[in-house]
Amino acid sequence: MTKGKMKALLIQALRLYTLLVTLITVLMIILGNLLDRDRVFSYDAFFSPLIYALIGTVATMVTRSDRELSIKNLIIRKVISLLLIEGAIIFIALNADTIPTEKSQVLFGLALGVFAVFVLSHIILYLIDRKEAEKLNADLSRYQEKQMNGAPFTD
Amino acid sequence: MKLEIRKIPESEPEMVEIQYHWITDEIQEIISFVKSRQGQLSAVRDGKRFEVPVVDLFYAESVDDRLFLYTAADSYEIRMKLYELEDLLKNNCFFRVSKSMIVNLMKITSVRPALNGRFSAVLKNGEEIIISRKYVPALKQILKGGESR
Repeated sequence: MTKGKMKALLIQALRLYTLLVTLITVLMIILGNLLDRDRVFSYDAFFSPLIYALIGTVATMVTRSDRELSIKNLIIRKVISLLLIEGAIIFIALNADTIPTEKSQVLFGLALGVFAVFVLSHIILYLIDRKEAEKLNADLSRYQEKQMNGAPFTD
Repeated sequence: MKLEIRKIPESEPEMVEIQYHWITDEIQEIISFVKSRQGQLSAVRDGKRFEVPVVDLFYAESVDDRLFLYTAADSYEIRMKLYELEDLLKNNCFFRVSKSMIVNLMKITSVRPALNGRFSAVLKNGEEIIISRKYVPALKQILKGGESR
């Protein structure tokens, strides 16, 4: 992998990681309040969103490819990464003392929450990209106008 | 091959004259280069040679070590490497959008987000091409009037 590609990948991963930390924290607040309101945590609990977001970010690396993927291929990889995230989070939940997985609605809520975070993160990243595309389009129009008024081989 | 460069008075027109025995690959490359400087590229379609005006080009794509030029409706093959063509057309609004493609910025109608952090460019003939994330910062720079590299 070239240095440029590595940098682009790192920026993309960091962007996703930051977003996931935020969304997972919100999800934990909502699920905790709904399903396990009375539980008290130590300061270690602050690590949870960081760890879960790391799992989510690593799992999305499945969609990374040096080739330009077709839409079908990309969707298949996205589904695989979602299943990996769901599997990893549920595995952690089942083995963690702090998550009351004996309640069936907690496991269901967790799976649904992971799905919601996955979808939301994609929507938010799409909206950020759309804003960037709007800016690119404005710059492109200016560039084309400028070239039409002076450059030799352009129309 | 002997190279002769001669300074001439300003009253005479500048010209490149190629004297050859046979049109070899080397001669063809030189002809292609000179024509490209004049806004044309020598390319082949269905076994026939065509002079393709640079302004008509939408994009160029490298597929399995072969380079293809695309206009609004036709495609041509050109005997050149993508990086050579990129270098040749860098002052003609062409920009690298992925590992295998350069596009004429004047032929882009709009840019929109694609899946997985990439962008796609809709061209004036309705075709859509992918812009890799890696090339977006350079694209922003060139659109703002800077050099892409």
